[in-house]
Amino acid sequence: MIPLPRSLCGFGVFVMTSQPGAKNSASSGKRSSILRLLPIGAAAVVCLLTWQGIVFFSRLPAFILPGPLGVFGRLVKVIGDGSLLRQTGYTLMEVVAGMALGVGAAAGLGYVLSKSRLVERVLAPYIVATQAIPVVAVAPLLVIWLGSGLLSKVLICALIVFFPVLINTVVGLRSVSANLRELMRSLGATRWQNFRYLELPAALPILLGGLKVGATLSVIGAVVGEFIAPDRGLGYLISVARGQYDTALVFVGVFTLVLMALSLYGLVAWAESRFLSWRE
Amino acid sequence: MKRNAILFTACFFLLAACGLAPRTTVPQITGEQPLTPVRLPMGYIPNVQFAPFYIAQEKGYFKEEGITVEFDYRFETDGVALVGAGTLPFAVVSGDQVPLARAQGLPVVFVATWWNGYPVAVMAMKASGIQTVADLKGKKVGIPALSGASYVGFRALLNSEGVKEDELQLEVINYTQVESLISGKEDAVVVYANNEPVQMRARGYEVNVIRVADFVNLASNGLLSNEKILREKSDLVRGMIRAILRGVRDAIADPDEAYTISKKYVDIPAEQDAVQKQVLAASIEFWRTDKPGWSDPAAWQNMELTLRSMGLLTQPLDITKAYSNDFLPA
Repeated sequence: MIPLPRSLCGFGVFVMTSQPGAKNSASSGKRSSILRLLPIGAAAVVCLLTWQGIVFFSRLPAFILPGPLGVFGRLVKVIGDGSLLRQTGYTLMEVVAGMALGVGAAAGLGYVLSKSRLVERVLAPYIVATQAIPVVAVAPLLVIWLGSGLLSKVLICALIVFFPVLINTVVGLRSVSANLRELMRSLGATRWQNFRYLELPAALPILLGGLKVGATLSVIGAVVGEFIAPDRGLGYLISVARGQYDTALVFVGVFTLVLMALSLYGLVAWAESRFLSWRE
Repeated sequence: MKRNAILFTACFFLLAACGLAPRTTVPQITGEQPLTPVRLPMGYIPNVQFAPFYIAQEKGYFKEEGITVEFDYRFETDGVALVGAGTLPFAVVSGDQVPLARAQGLPVVFVATWWNGYPVAVMAMKASGIQTVADLKGKKVGIPALSGASYVGFRALLNSEGVKEDELQLEVINYTQVESLISGKEDAVVVYANNEPVQMRARGYEVNVIRVADFVNLASNGLLSNEKILREKSDLVRGMIRAILRGVRDAIADPDEAYTISKKYVDIPAEQDAVQKQVLAASIEFWRTDKPGWSDPAAWQNMELTLRSMGLLTQPLDITKAYSNDFLPA
């Protein structure tokens, strides 16, 4: 399990906070960890009870709203026959590849845009315009151009991840203080040294913020691709379950996607706490 | 200047909203007796293939039965779920959905057959030499999805000729069959016999079409209701079926009129008129029958066997409860 930073475990999900408890003893650290996790656990229990209560009192049939026990039973079944793990693996592969492509392209282009106002002026309107294009509308075309295999799904995922990471890269690199740039120049720093010792560390907090958004969006991107060409992955699992009125399996697929997005978010948050510890 | 720009933008969106307001599909209630409102999930977007429903609406057949219908273009599975839950009384669905829904406990019953042949087919370029099901062995075949009517029909076709799915290369291509075939990405594609072959021929391509309906008799499209409605509102069910079958009869009798009426409900660009007329003509061929509305027990048995062979039905199912001919006009 990925150790989540304090910001993720408490209510302050979106704001990185300092860790005043870092110097405490191990036992008090454990105690505070339990105390931090307690509200999350309690909220989960309340949600499950409410859910079960709605199912019980509304008497809705299972194909409209299955109860948590029914969903859990279905989960055990698909874990047992290996189908959940297999489909999750496919989706995860698409997400990782899509993230790599989207983040790589966005970071590269973001760097160029941050360095050149002219390039930004020329490209920015087109980049923004691409965000108005609904991916679900062009996704079938990508399937025609690139086939229904992994490539089209990775590209759809990358397209969704691209924009938030690009914007944060540009903003992050532009946020570097002019005084610090002046200092590096006076020290005779090379372009690489400027990037390595000034721009990257300074831009990293904002860059990682974009990556957090991108990480969660990448899961949506992969599933959009899987809905367009449903041959495997969690999107396929959900499509098939819907076609068979197996709503409990739809819930299993959705919860697995949520877990995947949370894990990716946690991974970026962990990287944030690891690489930005100098800020504390 | 800025204020003018805001005013202009506001006016633009207001006008756009007025222009794009959906056409009402609910007729005016003018009779003495109150009409029963029915929201009818159609399972697809507005299309000339729904001509009988548009005719029944336009000519007042629904109204004569004391019904006011609002067409609801949503996913087929959602329509089935809403009927199963008793939220809506009817939906237009394909036959494969009924056993699947009943297997999950949805008390749905198919009450009138509209299409008298399963409309799914396999299409290949004439030059490919693919003419039979056996010719598909070793070939790349594109299919919209590994679920739904296309997949069920395709598997039934393969089963009927003893061809196994793993003897060919099946690829999921969404609804890009025409493009995939023209570009040569696929050797053959699974289509609707009344639609894509027409589109291909209109573009000047010669194609071979292998129709599922020529090989196996499967329960096809029609009207779905639920057990409670059948018990408590049988007159409503009978009236609904009567109105739809009158629409079907009129469409068969006068396709030109059917097309003209359909255009009131479907936005068809002028350059698409010829193709869409052919789509309607090809659809009408599936509607011809000497037993309007009748569900063939053998077709339902075949559907159950197909779904079972695909592993989509794993529990025993009394298929005779999935359909009923009891509400058809005498």
